[in-house]
Amino acid sequence: MSEEIYLDYAATSPVDPAVTAAMLECLQHEFGNPSSQHAAGWRARRLVEAARAAVAARVGAQPEQLLFTSGATEANNLALKGVLRRQRIARPHLVTSRIEHKSVLDAARALETEGVEVTYVETQADGSIDPLRVAAAIRAETALVSIMHVNNETGVIQDVGAIGALCRERGVPFHVDAAQSVGKLPLELAMAPIDLCSLTAHKLCGPKGVGALYVAPNTLLAAQLHGGEQERGLRAGTQATHQIVGMGRAYELADPQTEAPRLAGLRDRLWRELEAIPGVRQNGAPARRAAHLLNVTFPGVDGESLRFALGGVAVSAGSACAADSPEASHVLTGMGLSDTLASSSLRFSVGRFTTEAEVVRAGATVVGAVNRLRSVAKSAPAWCSGSGF
Amino acid sequence: MEYGSATARYFEALERAGELPNGLPGLVSGEAEDRTLHVWVRFQLQLQGGIVRLARFQVFGCPHTVAAASKVAEWLEGRSEADARALDARAVCAELGVPVEKLGKLLRIEDAVAACWSNGRDGNDKGR
Repeated sequence: MSEEIYLDYAATSPVDPAVTAAMLECLQHEFGNPSSQHAAGWRARRLVEAARAAVAARVGAQPEQLLFTSGATEANNLALKGVLRRQRIARPHLVTSRIEHKSVLDAARALETEGVEVTYVETQADGSIDPLRVAAAIRAETALVSIMHVNNETGVIQDVGAIGALCRERGVPFHVDAAQSVGKLPLELAMAPIDLCSLTAHKLCGPKGVGALYVAPNTLLAAQLHGGEQERGLRAGTQATHQIVGMGRAYELADPQTEAPRLAGLRDRLWRELEAIPGVRQNGAPARRAAHLLNVTFPGVDGESLRFALGGVAVSAGSACAADSPEASHVLTGMGLSDTLASSSLRFSVGRFTTEAEVVRAGATVVGAVNRLRSVAKSAPAWCSGSGF
Repeated sequence: MEYGSATARYFEALERAGELPNGLPGLVSGEAEDRTLHVWVRFQLQLQGGIVRLARFQVFGCPHTVAAASKVAEWLEGRSEADARALDARAVCAELGVPVEKLGKLLRIEDAVAACWSNGRDGNDKGR
Protein backbone atom coordinates (compact mmCIF):
# COMPACT_ATOMS: atom_id res chain seq x y z
CA MET A 1 0.00 0.00 0.00
CA SER A 2 1.32 3.46 -0.83
CA GLU A 3 2.03 6.20 1.65
CA GLU A 4 -0.93 8.22 0.42
CA ILE A 5 -2.82 10.17 3.04
CA TYR A 6 -6.40 10.69 1.98
CA LEU A 7 -7.84 13.99 3.25
CA ASP A 8 -10.52 14.52 0.63
CA TYR A 9 -13.56 12.86 2.20
CA ALA A 10 -15.71 15.81 1.16
CA ALA A 11 -15.11 14.78 -2.45
CA THR A 12 -15.73 11.12 -1.85
CA SER A 13 -14.87 8.48 0.71
CA PRO A 14 -13.49 4.95 0.64
CA VAL A 15 -16.22 2.34 0.70
CA ASP A 16 -16.56 0.70 4.10
CA PRO A 17 -15.71 -3.04 3.90
CA ALA A 18 -19.11 -3.85 5.41
CA VAL A 19 -20.75 -1.94 2.56
CA THR A 20 -18.63 -3.75 -0.01
CA ALA A 21 -19.63 -7.09 1.52
CA ALA A 22 -23.33 -6.25 1.35
CA MET A 23 -23.02 -5.12 -2.25
CA LEU A 24 -21.04 -8.17 -3.28
CA GLU A 25 -23.59 -10.46 -1.72
CA CYS A 26 -26.27 -8.69 -3.70
CA LEU A 27 -24.33 -8.74 -6.96
CA GLN A 28 -23.52 -12.41 -6.63
CA HIS A 29 -26.86 -13.72 -5.48
CA GLU A 30 -29.64 -11.20 -6.00
CA PHE A 31 -29.66 -10.11 -9.61
CA GLY A 32 -33.41 -9.90 -9.92
CA ASN A 33 -35.22 -6.83 -11.16
CA PRO A 34 -37.07 -5.32 -8.18
CA SER A 35 -40.07 -4.68 -10.43
CA SER A 36 -40.33 -8.31 -11.60
CA GLN A 37 -43.20 -10.42 -10.36
CA HIS A 38 -41.40 -13.61 -9.42
CA ALA A 39 -39.31 -14.81 -6.51
CA ALA A 40 -35.99 -13.28 -7.68
CA GLY A 41 -37.72 -9.96 -8.26
CA TRP A 42 -39.53 -10.08 -4.93
CA ARG A 43 -36.24 -10.77 -3.12
CA ALA A 44 -34.59 -7.83 -4.87
CA ARG A 45 -37.53 -5.64 -4.00
CA ARG A 46 -37.26 -6.61 -0.35
CA LEU A 47 -33.59 -5.60 -0.41
CA VAL A 48 -34.44 -2.24 -1.94
CA GLU A 49 -37.16 -1.61 0.63
CA ALA A 50 -34.92 -2.66 3.50
CA ALA A 51 -32.30 -0.20 2.29
CA ARG A 52 -34.94 2.49 1.96
CA ALA A 53 -35.96 1.87 5.55
CA ALA A 54 -32.33 2.09 6.71
CA VAL A 55 -31.77 5.40 4.94
CA ALA A 56 -35.08 6.73 6.25
CA ALA A 57 -34.17 5.75 9.80
CA ARG A 58 -30.87 7.63 9.60
CA VAL A 59 -32.50 10.87 8.39
CA GLY A 60 -35.66 10.71 10.48
CA ALA A 61 -38.06 10.17 7.61
CA GLN A 62 -40.61 7.59 6.57
CA PRO A 63 -39.38 5.09 3.94
CA GLU A 64 -42.11 6.06 1.49
CA GLN A 65 -40.80 9.63 1.56
CA LEU A 66 -37.53 8.65 -0.13
CA LEU A 67 -36.88 8.28 -3.85
CA PHE A 68 -33.65 6.61 -4.90
CA THR A 69 -31.66 8.48 -7.53
CA SER A 70 -28.20 8.19 -9.10
CA GLY A 71 -26.79 10.58 -6.51
CA ALA A 72 -27.21 14.00 -4.95
CA THR A 73 -26.68 15.76 -8.28
CA GLU A 74 -29.71 14.02 -9.74
CA ALA A 75 -31.64 14.59 -6.53
CA ASN A 76 -30.86 18.32 -6.70
CA ASN A 77 -31.91 18.45 -10.34
CA LEU A 78 -35.10 16.55 -9.60
CA ALA A 79 -35.95 18.85 -6.70
CA LEU A 80 -35.40 22.11 -8.56
CA LYS A 81 -36.68 21.12 -11.99
CA GLY A 82 -39.39 18.90 -10.59
CA VAL A 83 -40.91 21.72 -8.56
CA LEU A 84 -40.33 24.63 -10.95
CA ARG A 85 -41.48 22.82 -14.08
CA ARG A 86 -44.75 21.93 -12.37
CA GLN A 87 -45.66 25.57 -11.89
CA ARG A 88 -48.43 26.92 -14.05
CA ILE A 89 -47.61 30.62 -13.70
CA ALA A 90 -45.71 32.48 -16.42
CA ARG A 91 -42.52 33.29 -14.55
CA PRO A 92 -42.10 31.24 -11.40
CA HIS A 93 -39.37 32.28 -9.01
CA LEU A 94 -36.58 30.35 -7.31
CA VAL A 95 -34.49 31.51 -4.38
CA THR A 96 -31.07 30.00 -3.82
CA SER A 97 -27.62 31.21 -2.81
CA ARG A 98 -24.38 31.96 -4.64
CA ILE A 99 -22.46 29.30 -2.70
CA GLU A 100 -24.55 26.26 -3.62
CA HIS A 101 -23.09 23.18 -5.22
CA LYS A 102 -22.70 23.31 -8.99
CA SER A 103 -25.57 20.86 -9.41
CA VAL A 104 -27.94 23.41 -7.88
CA LEU A 105 -26.44 26.46 -9.59
CA ASP A 106 -26.34 24.82 -13.02
CA ALA A 107 -29.89 23.51 -12.61
CA ALA A 108 -30.99 27.03 -11.65
CA ARG A 109 -29.27 28.44 -14.73
CA ALA A 110 -30.98 25.85 -16.92
CA LEU A 111 -34.31 26.88 -15.42
CA GLU A 112 -33.53 30.54 -16.11
CA THR A 113 -33.34 29.71 -19.81
CA GLU A 114 -36.89 28.37 -19.49
CA GLY A 115 -38.19 31.60 -18.02
CA VAL A 116 -37.75 30.94 -14.32
CA GLU A 117 -36.54 33.95 -12.36
CA VAL A 118 -33.82 33.19 -9.87
CA THR A 119 -32.64 35.24 -6.91
CA TYR A 120 -29.15 34.35 -5.68
CA VAL A 121 -28.81 35.35 -2.04
CA GLU A 122 -25.33 36.58 -1.14
CA THR A 123 -23.33 34.91 1.58
CA GLN A 124 -21.88 36.71 4.56
CA ALA A 125 -18.10 36.97 5.09
CA ASP A 126 -18.14 33.99 7.46
CA GLY A 127 -19.76 31.80 4.81
CA SER A 128 -23.20 31.74 6.39
CA ILE A 129 -26.49 32.64 4.74
CA ASP A 130 -28.63 35.08 6.68
CA PRO A 131 -32.13 33.52 6.96
CA LEU A 132 -33.64 37.01 6.88
CA ARG A 133 -32.00 37.68 3.51
CA VAL A 134 -33.57 34.50 2.20
CA ALA A 135 -36.95 35.54 3.57
CA ALA A 136 -36.57 38.99 2.02
CA ALA A 137 -36.03 37.39 -1.38
CA ILE A 138 -39.30 35.45 -1.25
CA ARG A 139 -42.16 36.92 -3.25
CA ALA A 140 -45.60 35.87 -4.42
CA GLU A 141 -44.24 33.93 -7.40
CA THR A 142 -41.61 32.06 -5.39
CA ALA A 143 -42.10 28.34 -5.98
CA LEU A 144 -39.03 27.01 -4.15
CA VAL A 145 -36.17 27.99 -1.87
CA SER A 146 -33.02 25.84 -2.11
CA ILE A 147 -30.19 26.22 0.42
CA MET A 148 -27.53 23.64 1.22
CA HIS A 149 -27.11 22.33 4.77
CA VAL A 150 -23.30 22.17 4.94
CA ASN A 151 -21.20 23.97 2.39
CA ASN A 152 -19.02 21.53 0.50
CA GLU A 153 -15.99 23.84 0.42
CA THR A 154 -15.97 25.56 3.80
CA GLY A 155 -18.04 23.18 5.92
CA VAL A 156 -20.16 26.08 7.20
CA ILE A 157 -23.48 24.85 8.55
CA GLN A 158 -26.44 26.88 7.36
CA ASP A 159 -29.36 27.52 9.66
CA VAL A 160 -31.79 25.44 7.63
CA GLY A 161 -34.18 25.26 10.59
CA ALA A 162 -34.63 29.04 10.63
CA ILE A 163 -34.73 29.31 6.84
CA GLY A 164 -37.26 26.48 6.62
CA ALA A 165 -39.44 28.07 9.29
CA LEU A 166 -39.49 31.34 7.36
CA CYS A 167 -40.39 29.44 4.20
CA ARG A 168 -43.24 27.67 6.00
CA GLU A 169 -44.59 31.04 7.18
CA ARG A 170 -44.73 32.14 3.54
CA GLY A 171 -46.02 28.80 2.23
CA VAL A 172 -42.97 28.19 0.04
CA PRO A 173 -41.44 24.70 -0.31
CA PHE A 174 -37.90 24.41 0.99
CA HIS A 175 -35.20 22.17 -0.51
CA VAL A 176 -31.99 21.30 1.31
CA ASP A 177 -28.91 19.75 -0.28
CA ALA A 178 -27.62 17.58 2.56
CA ALA A 179 -24.87 15.78 0.62
CA GLN A 180 -22.16 17.06 2.97
CA SER A 181 -24.11 16.89 6.23
CA VAL A 182 -25.75 13.49 6.19
CA GLY A 183 -23.86 11.16 8.48
CA LYS A 184 -21.97 14.11 9.98
CA LEU A 185 -24.88 15.99 11.57
CA PRO A 186 -28.09 14.56 12.99
CA LEU A 187 -31.00 14.90 10.56
CA GLU A 188 -34.64 14.60 11.58
CA LEU A 189 -36.37 15.45 8.35
CA ALA A 190 -39.90 14.66 9.42
CA MET A 191 -39.52 17.09 12.33
CA ALA A 192 -37.78 19.81 10.28
CA PRO A 193 -39.42 22.49 8.13
CA ILE A 194 -37.89 20.87 5.06
CA ASP A 195 -39.90 19.67 2.08
CA LEU A 196 -37.18 18.23 -0.14
CA CYS A 197 -33.74 16.98 0.84
CA SER A 198 -30.97 15.58 -1.36
CA LEU A 199 -28.88 12.71 -0.02
CA THR A 200 -25.89 10.80 -1.26
CA ALA A 201 -24.09 7.59 -0.35
CA HIS A 202 -20.48 8.08 -1.39
CA LYS A 203 -19.66 10.83 1.10
CA LEU A 204 -20.32 8.47 3.98
CA CYS A 205 -18.38 5.41 2.92
CA GLY A 206 -21.04 4.12 0.57
CA PRO A 207 -20.85 3.57 -3.18
CA LYS A 208 -20.88 6.24 -5.87
CA GLY A 209 -23.80 6.36 -8.26
CA VAL A 210 -26.63 6.28 -5.77
CA GLY A 211 -28.46 8.86 -3.72
CA ALA A 212 -31.95 9.78 -2.71
CA LEU A 213 -34.41 12.63 -2.57
CA TYR A 214 -36.60 13.07 0.48
CA VAL A 215 -40.02 14.37 -0.50
CA ALA A 216 -42.33 15.49 2.30
CA PRO A 217 -46.05 14.73 2.00
CA ASN A 218 -48.01 17.11 -0.21
CA THR A 219 -44.91 18.33 -2.04
CA LEU A 220 -45.73 18.52 -5.73
CA LEU A 221 -43.03 17.30 -8.03
CA ALA A 222 -42.89 16.57 -11.76
CA ALA A 223 -40.87 13.56 -12.88
CA GLN A 224 -37.77 14.40 -14.89
CA LEU A 225 -37.11 10.88 -16.16
CA HIS A 226 -39.80 8.91 -17.94
CA GLY A 227 -40.04 5.26 -18.81
CA GLY A 228 -41.37 3.36 -15.86
CA GLU A 229 -43.30 3.59 -12.62
CA GLN A 230 -40.34 2.99 -10.33
CA GLU A 231 -39.92 5.26 -7.32
CA ARG A 232 -43.59 6.23 -7.31
CA GLY A 233 -43.36 7.24 -10.96
CA LEU A 234 -41.02 10.08 -10.09
CA ARG A 235 -37.77 8.43 -11.13
CA ALA A 236 -38.09 5.91 -13.93
CA GLY A 237 -35.50 3.22 -14.51
CA THR A 238 -34.64 -0.15 -13.04
CA GLN A 239 -33.45 0.36 -9.49
CA ALA A 240 -29.74 -0.37 -9.07
CA THR A 241 -30.29 -2.94 -6.36
CA HIS A 242 -26.66 -3.42 -5.33
CA GLN A 243 -26.04 0.32 -5.17
CA ILE A 244 -29.15 0.86 -3.10
CA VAL A 245 -28.18 -1.99 -0.80
CA GLY A 246 -24.79 -0.35 -0.38
CA MET A 247 -26.38 2.97 0.45
CA GLY A 248 -28.62 1.36 3.01
CA ARG A 249 -25.68 -0.34 4.71
CA ALA A 250 -23.66 2.91 4.65
CA TYR A 251 -26.51 4.73 6.37
CA GLU A 252 -26.76 2.02 9.00
CA LEU A 253 -23.07 2.44 9.75
CA ALA A 254 -22.93 6.23 9.76
CA ASP A 255 -23.57 7.61 13.20
CA PRO A 256 -23.00 11.33 13.65
CA GLN A 257 -23.20 11.05 17.43
CA THR A 258 -20.07 8.95 17.62
CA GLU A 259 -18.28 9.97 14.45
CA ALA A 260 -18.55 13.76 14.54
CA PRO A 261 -16.57 14.33 17.78
CA ARG A 262 -13.75 12.14 16.53
CA LEU A 263 -13.66 13.95 13.18
CA ALA A 264 -13.70 17.34 14.88
CA GLY A 265 -10.71 16.24 16.95
CA LEU A 266 -8.80 15.26 13.83
CA ARG A 267 -9.72 18.48 12.04
CA ASP A 268 -8.59 20.58 15.00
CA ARG A 269 -5.37 18.58 15.30
CA LEU A 270 -4.64 19.30 11.65
CA TRP A 271 -5.28 23.00 12.18
CA ARG A 272 -2.87 23.05 15.10
CA GLU A 273 -0.19 21.77 12.72
CA LEU A 274 -1.04 24.35 10.06
CA GLU A 275 -1.54 27.44 12.15
CA ALA A 276 2.22 27.74 12.66
CA ILE A 277 2.48 28.92 9.03
CA PRO A 278 2.68 32.73 8.94
CA GLY A 279 -0.41 34.39 7.48
CA VAL A 280 -2.46 31.22 7.27
CA ARG A 281 -6.21 31.54 7.90
CA GLN A 282 -9.28 29.37 8.09
CA ASN A 283 -12.25 30.12 5.87
CA GLY A 284 -15.74 29.90 7.30
CA ALA A 285 -17.05 30.56 10.77
CA PRO A 286 -15.21 28.11 13.07
CA ALA A 287 -18.13 28.01 15.51
CA ARG A 288 -20.58 26.73 12.93
CA ARG A 289 -18.57 24.33 10.82
CA ALA A 290 -19.12 20.65 10.19
CA ALA A 291 -16.66 18.37 11.94
CA HIS A 292 -14.97 16.93 8.87
CA LEU A 293 -13.99 20.01 6.90
CA LEU A 294 -11.21 22.58 7.07
CA ASN A 295 -10.67 25.21 4.38
CA VAL A 296 -7.40 27.09 4.65
CA THR A 297 -5.84 29.99 2.75
CA PHE A 298 -2.05 30.02 2.37
CA PRO A 299 -1.19 33.55 1.19
CA GLY A 300 1.73 33.74 -1.20
CA VAL A 301 1.31 30.20 -2.44
CA ASP A 302 -0.56 29.08 -5.53
CA GLY A 303 -3.11 26.50 -4.43
CA GLU A 304 -2.63 24.27 -7.46
CA SER A 305 1.11 24.20 -6.91
CA LEU A 306 0.65 23.51 -3.24
CA ARG A 307 -1.68 20.63 -3.99
CA PHE A 308 0.86 19.20 -6.44
CA ALA A 309 3.72 19.71 -3.99
CA LEU A 310 1.86 17.68 -1.38
CA GLY A 311 2.35 14.57 -3.47
CA GLY A 312 0.88 11.76 -1.42
CA VAL A 313 -1.49 13.94 0.56
CA ALA A 314 -4.81 14.00 -1.27
CA VAL A 315 -6.66 17.30 -0.79
CA SER A 316 -8.80 19.53 -2.98
CA ALA A 317 -8.56 23.13 -4.12
CA GLY A 318 -12.33 23.29 -3.72
CA SER A 319 -15.30 21.36 -4.94
CA ALA A 320 -14.26 18.22 -6.78
CA CYS A 321 -17.06 18.95 -9.24
CA ALA A 322 -15.24 22.13 -10.30
CA ALA A 323 -11.69 20.94 -9.77
CA ASP A 324 -10.72 21.17 -13.42
CA SER A 325 -11.94 24.73 -13.69
CA PRO A 326 -9.25 27.46 -13.73
CA GLU A 327 -11.72 29.78 -12.03
CA ALA A 328 -11.25 30.66 -8.39
CA SER A 329 -13.76 29.08 -6.01
CA HIS A 330 -17.14 30.82 -6.31
CA VAL A 331 -17.75 30.01 -2.66
CA LEU A 332 -14.63 31.75 -1.37
CA THR A 333 -14.94 34.74 -3.68
CA GLY A 334 -18.59 34.92 -2.64
CA MET A 335 -17.32 35.27 0.94
CA GLY A 336 -15.21 38.24 -0.11
CA LEU A 337 -11.82 36.64 -0.77
CA SER A 338 -9.88 37.97 -3.74
CA ASP A 339 -9.37 35.63 -6.69
CA THR A 340 -5.73 35.25 -5.65
CA LEU A 341 -6.50 34.32 -2.07
CA ALA A 342 -9.28 31.99 -3.17
CA SER A 343 -6.77 30.33 -5.49
CA SER A 344 -4.32 30.03 -2.59
CA SER A 345 -6.78 27.93 -0.58
CA LEU A 346 -7.11 24.22 0.01
CA ARG A 347 -9.87 22.07 1.42
CA PHE A 348 -8.92 19.31 3.85
CA SER A 349 -11.57 16.81 4.86
CA VAL A 350 -11.21 13.90 7.24
CA GLY A 351 -13.33 10.80 7.56
CA ARG A 352 -13.93 7.42 9.08
CA PHE A 353 -10.54 5.93 8.29
CA THR A 354 -8.39 9.00 8.95
CA THR A 355 -5.93 8.62 11.82
CA GLU A 356 -4.26 11.19 14.04
CA ALA A 357 -0.85 10.07 12.80
CA GLU A 358 -1.99 10.82 9.26
CA VAL A 359 -3.15 14.36 9.99
CA VAL A 360 0.07 15.10 11.88
CA ARG A 361 2.15 13.81 8.98
CA ALA A 362 -0.02 15.69 6.48
CA GLY A 363 0.36 18.88 8.49
CA ALA A 364 4.13 18.60 8.46
CA THR A 365 4.08 17.93 4.71
CA VAL A 366 1.95 21.02 4.11
CA VAL A 367 4.22 23.22 6.24
CA GLY A 368 7.26 22.03 4.29
CA ALA A 369 5.58 22.55 0.92
CA VAL A 370 4.36 26.05 1.79
CA ASN A 371 7.82 27.07 2.97
CA ARG A 372 9.40 25.69 -0.18
CA LEU A 373 6.96 27.40 -2.55
CA ARG A 374 7.23 30.69 -0.68
CA SER A 375 11.01 30.54 -0.91
CA VAL A 376 10.72 30.18 -4.68
CA ALA A 377 8.62 33.35 -4.82
CA LYS A 378 10.47 35.34 -2.15
CA SER A 379 10.50 38.59 -4.12
CA ALA A 380 6.95 38.24 -5.45
CA PRO A 381 4.80 41.38 -5.43
CA ALA A 382 2.18 41.94 -2.76
CA TRP A 383 -0.73 40.82 -4.94
CA CYS A 384 0.60 37.26 -4.86
CA SER A 385 -0.16 37.29 -1.14
CA GLY A 386 -3.61 38.69 -1.70
CA SER A 387 -2.83 42.30 -0.91
CA GLY A 388 -1.70 45.27 -2.92
CA PHE A 389 -4.83 45.65 -5.00
CA MET B 1 -5.53 18.00 -13.72
CA GLU B 2 -2.79 15.46 -14.16
CA TYR B 3 0.82 16.42 -14.72
CA GLY B 4 3.41 14.61 -16.80
CA SER B 5 6.61 13.14 -15.44
CA ALA B 6 8.73 15.95 -16.94
CA THR B 7 6.61 18.56 -15.19
CA ALA B 8 6.94 16.66 -11.94
CA ARG B 9 10.71 16.37 -12.36
CA TYR B 10 11.29 20.08 -12.97
CA PHE B 11 8.78 21.09 -10.29
CA GLU B 12 10.54 18.88 -7.77
CA ALA B 13 14.10 19.79 -8.66
CA LEU B 14 13.92 23.59 -8.92
CA GLU B 15 17.69 23.54 -9.26
CA ARG B 16 17.98 27.13 -10.43
CA ALA B 17 15.36 28.65 -8.17
CA GLY B 18 16.52 31.63 -6.16
CA GLU B 19 18.52 34.78 -6.59
CA LEU B 20 21.99 35.71 -7.80
CA PRO B 21 24.01 37.88 -5.44
CA ASN B 22 23.75 41.62 -5.86
CA GLY B 23 26.79 43.07 -7.51
CA LEU B 24 27.58 39.94 -9.47
CA PRO B 25 29.36 40.95 -12.70
CA GLY B 26 27.12 40.86 -15.78
CA LEU B 27 23.92 40.57 -13.77
CA VAL B 28 20.69 41.37 -15.59
CA SER B 29 17.19 40.81 -14.33
CA GLY B 30 13.65 41.05 -15.60
CA GLU B 31 10.21 40.11 -14.47
CA ALA B 32 6.68 39.77 -15.83
CA GLU B 33 3.26 39.07 -14.39
CA ASP B 34 -0.36 38.55 -15.26
CA ARG B 35 -2.65 38.97 -12.30
CA THR B 36 -5.62 37.49 -14.08
CA LEU B 37 -3.60 34.32 -14.73
CA HIS B 38 -2.13 34.36 -11.20
CA VAL B 39 1.42 34.27 -12.50
CA TRP B 40 4.57 36.24 -11.66
CA VAL B 41 8.06 35.37 -12.90
CA ARG B 42 11.49 36.89 -12.31
CA PHE B 43 14.69 35.87 -14.08
CA GLN B 44 18.23 36.85 -13.23
CA LEU B 45 21.02 36.08 -15.66
CA GLN B 46 24.76 36.46 -15.45
CA LEU B 47 26.23 37.32 -18.84
CA GLN B 48 29.92 36.85 -19.42
CA GLY B 49 31.68 36.87 -22.75
CA GLY B 50 28.39 36.82 -24.62
CA ILE B 51 27.32 33.67 -22.78
CA VAL B 52 24.62 33.16 -20.15
CA ARG B 53 26.78 31.75 -17.36
CA LEU B 54 24.11 31.52 -14.68
CA ALA B 55 20.32 31.69 -14.71
CA ARG B 56 18.10 31.92 -11.65
CA PHE B 57 14.37 32.32 -11.38
CA GLN B 58 11.60 33.04 -8.92
CA VAL B 59 8.03 32.19 -9.71
CA PHE B 60 4.49 32.33 -8.35
CA GLY B 61 2.08 30.20 -10.31
CA CYS B 62 0.73 26.79 -11.13
CA PRO B 63 2.89 23.64 -11.38
CA HIS B 64 3.27 23.98 -15.13
CA THR B 65 4.49 27.56 -14.74
CA VAL B 66 6.94 26.60 -12.00
CA ALA B 67 8.26 23.65 -14.00
CA ALA B 68 8.48 25.75 -17.16
CA ALA B 69 10.46 28.48 -15.41
CA SER B 70 12.80 25.81 -14.08
CA LYS B 71 13.18 24.27 -17.53
CA VAL B 72 13.82 27.63 -19.19
CA ALA B 73 16.48 28.49 -16.61
CA GLU B 74 18.20 25.22 -17.35
CA TRP B 75 17.97 25.88 -21.09
CA LEU B 76 19.38 29.39 -20.76
CA GLU B 77 22.56 28.45 -18.93
CA GLY B 78 25.47 28.09 -21.36
CA ARG B 79 23.61 29.63 -24.30
CA SER B 80 24.98 32.50 -26.26
CA GLU B 81 23.16 35.74 -25.68
CA ALA B 82 21.92 35.65 -29.27
CA ASP B 83 20.40 32.19 -28.77
CA ALA B 84 18.97 33.16 -25.43
CA ARG B 85 17.33 36.23 -26.89
CA ALA B 86 15.53 33.97 -29.37
CA LEU B 87 13.92 31.98 -26.55
CA ASP B 88 10.70 30.27 -27.59
CA ALA B 89 9.38 29.11 -24.24
CA ARG B 90 6.68 26.97 -25.82
CA ALA B 91 9.25 25.02 -27.83
CA VAL B 92 11.60 24.69 -24.88
CA CYS B 93 8.76 23.46 -22.69
CA ALA B 94 7.14 21.19 -25.26
CA GLU B 95 8.05 18.08 -23.28
CA LEU B 96 6.20 19.43 -20.25
CA GLY B 97 2.88 18.96 -22.03
CA VAL B 98 1.51 22.30 -20.88
CA PRO B 99 -2.20 22.35 -21.70
CA VAL B 100 -3.31 24.89 -24.25
CA GLU B 101 -5.26 26.95 -21.69
CA LYS B 102 -2.04 27.56 -19.80
CA LEU B 103 0.12 28.66 -22.72
CA GLY B 104 -0.45 32.30 -21.78
CA LYS B 105 1.55 31.66 -18.63
CA LEU B 106 4.53 30.49 -20.68
CA LEU B 107 4.43 33.80 -22.52
CA ARG B 108 4.98 35.54 -19.17
CA ILE B 109 8.16 33.49 -18.81
CA GLU B 110 9.29 34.70 -22.22
CA ASP B 111 8.38 38.24 -21.19
CA ALA B 112 10.44 37.98 -18.01
CA VAL B 113 13.49 36.80 -19.96
CA ALA B 114 12.92 39.48 -22.60
CA ALA B 115 12.78 42.04 -19.80
CA CYS B 116 16.30 40.99 -18.84
CA TRP B 117 17.52 42.19 -22.22
CA SER B 118 15.55 45.39 -22.21
CA ASN B 119 16.48 46.24 -18.62
CA GLY B 120 20.14 45.89 -19.56
CA ARG B 121 23.08 45.22 -17.41
CA ASP B 122 23.89 46.78 -14.11
CA GLY B 123 27.22 48.11 -15.35
CA ASN B 124 29.26 45.37 -13.76
CA ASP B 125 29.57 43.14 -16.78
CA LYS B 126 33.32 43.12 -16.79
CA GLY B 127 33.45 39.72 -18.32
CA ARG B 128 32.31 40.73 -21.79
